[in-house]
Amino acid sequence: MGTEQIREVRLGRLERLPWRRIILIVLGATIAATVGIGAYRTVTLPEGQGYSADAWADFIILGVAQGSIYALIALGYTLVYGILRMINFAHGEVFMFGAFGSYFFAAAYEESGFLERQPVLALAIVFGSAIAISVLVAVLLERIAYRPLRGAPRLVPLITAIGASLFLQNTARGFFGARSRGYAKPGFLDGQWEVVGLGFPRVRVVVFLVALVSVILLTWFIAKTTTGRSMRAVAQDSEIASLMGINVDRVIVITFAVGGILAGIAGVLYAMTFEAVNFFMGFQPGIAAFTAAVLGGIGSVAGAALGGLTLGLLESLGPSLVLTGYQIPSPFQLKPAFTFLVLVLVLIFRPGGILGTGEAEKV
Amino acid sequence: MGPIPVRSVVRAGLVGGAVLAYLALVGLVERFAHLRLVGEPVTLGRILLVLPLFAAAFGVARPRVVAGERRVAGPRAGLVAGALTGATAAGGFAVAVILADRIDVARIRQVFIAVTPGLVEFVTFERGLVLGAAILVGLGLVAGALGGLARTGDRLVVGPAIAAVTTVIVMGLLQRIVPVAMIQLGFEPDFLYSPRTRSLTWGGATGLLVLAAGADALWRRSGPETRRRVRAAMVEQPAARAGILLIALAVLAVLPLLVGSVISQVLGSVMVFVLLGLGLNIVVGYAGLLDLGYIAFYAFGAYMMALLTGATLNTTTGSAAPAWSVDLNFYLAIWIVVILASGVGLMIGAPVLRLRGDYLAIVTLGLGEIVRVLAESRWLQPLVGGPQGMRGVTNAAIGSFGFRQPQRFYWLALAFVILALFVSWRLSSSRIGRAWNAMREDEQVADAMGISTTKYKLLAFAMGGAVGSLGGALFAVQIGSLTPASFQIIVSITALAVVILGGMGSIPGVVAGAAVLIGLPGLLREFEEFRLLIYGAVLVAIMILRPQGLIPSVRRMRELHEEEAEQDAWVKRFAGEAAAVAAGPGGALGVEDEDLT
Repeated sequence: MGTEQIREVRLGRLERLPWRRIILIVLGATIAATVGIGAYRTVTLPEGQGYSADAWADFIILGVAQGSIYALIALGYTLVYGILRMINFAHGEVFMFGAFGSYFFAAAYEESGFLERQPVLALAIVFGSAIAISVLVAVLLERIAYRPLRGAPRLVPLITAIGASLFLQNTARGFFGARSRGYAKPGFLDGQWEVVGLGFPRVRVVVFLVALVSVILLTWFIAKTTTGRSMRAVAQDSEIASLMGINVDRVIVITFAVGGILAGIAGVLYAMTFEAVNFFMGFQPGIAAFTAAVLGGIGSVAGAALGGLTLGLLESLGPSLVLTGYQIPSPFQLKPAFTFLVLVLVLIFRPGGILGTGEAEKV
Repeated sequence: MGPIPVRSVVRAGLVGGAVLAYLALVGLVERFAHLRLVGEPVTLGRILLVLPLFAAAFGVARPRVVAGERRVAGPRAGLVAGALTGATAAGGFAVAVILADRIDVARIRQVFIAVTPGLVEFVTFERGLVLGAAILVGLGLVAGALGGLARTGDRLVVGPAIAAVTTVIVMGLLQRIVPVAMIQLGFEPDFLYSPRTRSLTWGGATGLLVLAAGADALWRRSGPETRRRVRAAMVEQPAARAGILLIALAVLAVLPLLVGSVISQVLGSVMVFVLLGLGLNIVVGYAGLLDLGYIAFYAFGAYMMALLTGATLNTTTGSAAPAWSVDLNFYLAIWIVVILASGVGLMIGAPVLRLRGDYLAIVTLGLGEIVRVLAESRWLQPLVGGPQGMRGVTNAAIGSFGFRQPQRFYWLALAFVILALFVSWRLSSSRIGRAWNAMREDEQVADAMGISTTKYKLLAFAMGGAVGSLGGALFAVQIGSLTPASFQIIVSITALAVVILGGMGSIPGVVAGAAVLIGLPGLLREFEEFRLLIYGAVLVAIMILRPQGLIPSVRRMRELHEEEAEQDAWVKRFAGEAAAVAAGPGGALGVEDEDLT
């Protein structure tokens, strides 16, 4: 290596760091100013042009409900990432299959009246079917697409996952057809509950409660059971874990299955919230949930839950709060762009996420 | 049966049956049930029924490692095991069909929309359930036996046989192109393709079989020698190289005149995707940065071209002028687009530089989606037309010679493809290209070796963006009007599939990838519905079976082999197996493997 090149390295190092900092600081300040000014202008809009207090309350309720669904899906990303260090890009499709599979039960029960006669039992079967189908898809995915690639260079499983996502999506299209179908829910979930003068749509309350219980159960499972303990061991160091007598392959399958259970639950909740299922419904929530997982700190269960709620709130409040101030028409159209922007910014400024270390893992 | 355990036979059989059931449920079998390839009885649907049976048997007869010793099954063992596997697969599927019929097809159809009485009739050969099931099992025996033989038989016999059958199927699939081209060239196609069924005639198919088998056998016998001689001549005589290049160019240039305007349209799209693939190949293949938001450059190129050449917005009442536009000549505008796009590449690249590979992929995916959302939004409607889009993009005319017409567009695109090919080729072995490769293989080591990774990553984004925007700009010229519907995320993934199928970093690979993934579905409209399904399967199958792609770049191949020497268990495993496992629906069988560790 010539002296010229060595000098280039040194100069490069010296120059690179401060510049990056400066760019980041300027970028951060610009974004903070844009958000701040937008929010200020929205809030100070004259009476009648802005949003009422009730509208903001609705946004928050919507955000929490949406966020708890994201949290459930995000847990699937985070669990798999923690153990295999791979982004299971097809997880959104696992969620979609759960929702679509349970649709047939829900539709049949609606037709036969079982859904109204025995709503609790019917819902239990609907949830059960969604979970079963999601688990099946998740485990097959692991077995066929990912297991042969254990130990491959990082990008290989990611490309496989993208392919698998496309494949599953179009499989659902071939199996069930391309059109959207209305999802039935029992009558007692219509309407809203009035608490302290605020109307809480019942579905959203149920969504939040179910998600909450699921996260609590999952935390217990990971913290207290033997299987949970072996999952944590494999996440820390799979080689040592296998020397300690843990069947790593089995733990990985269980991880995918647990992710599938949560995705199945999320699928039913999502379908009941939006009252429709279709073959491409997995894409947007999948990406959003991945964003949530990164936002909270990927690999951490609490992080995924926290990230999900945060993202749900950001999505429902952000566009109206920031963009309305700039008089941008139909701010809600830009919601997906908002989600991605959050993802990009988190990765740029705090790659470790809210609960993470703040530094991106290198290589 | 010697080295083939019964358990494996049963398992492979069940997997084969499941694949068969999948093909039926997803709708492929029925969609192609009546696409005739040879005469009347040989339809693509029937081939799809046979293929999993064959593949399952082919997989079961593979060499196995038992107690550290590699055991190769003989032809007899292969035949028996294969036949049993095929029969198990077909039997399993037949049982499923009978069950479905008992349960009531109409009710199953409420869930699986592809299950129709027609499908049941087709898979039972219109002979009723019992006889149909018997025929299926018989077919399984025969196809399985052939599959087992194909794995274990003498290569000098099996090779030509497979080549012959593949040729006939491919020629059958090309039934819309080859006859047209033959007529243009002044041949009478009727002896090869029946004018009534459009499929190959029996005589033509037999002729093709013999020809292909003969050619393959000849090639096998004298191929290596000929190849060596040709290569030596190419190295020694630049004139020979130039000659071949010129001939290839001439063939490419007259191609649209031979095939007519419908197929030229498809060829034009192939060219656009060759450009996209070449651009993405720089980013993914050379520099190892997985960019899933490549659509951003494509959309940028298309919309920028529209704005620079005075296109108008579509509105409900007619058309309106965009908020900003100029009216430049195409040949000036294209360079402005390319320069601006490399600027956009820098802008996208700069903030995400330090992200690790998989994060980078997701962030770029997000950026790509942002572009689409913005193009659709009411916010930017005054500039790019929102959901209604724009129209009146230039047709790149020189004088009065416009390039919108499919054949002419192909020539325009070809010119830019040749330019991009040249740039890619020169880049690959340049100092920059080698720096990219070093960075791809190990960023930290590259950095320690004095390669400024920041600089080269930015350069890769800028170059990739420039070539990608070229694709977008040409696309705008090709269709003349733009809507956000053309800029879905799926374009990014298609471009990725083009690069992956051919082989990351391989220029001929990109061309082949685009020809297969864009050309074939374009020519066979029946495939359109299943295009994305097939892309997904291709991405998974290539990554598992042949990560270096169909036409690997020489350097990349060398790298993979070096890794092999370095105890990389994964590459070692795949290198032993992959060569022998054919791609296709049954390809997944090759990895269904515990005996081989």
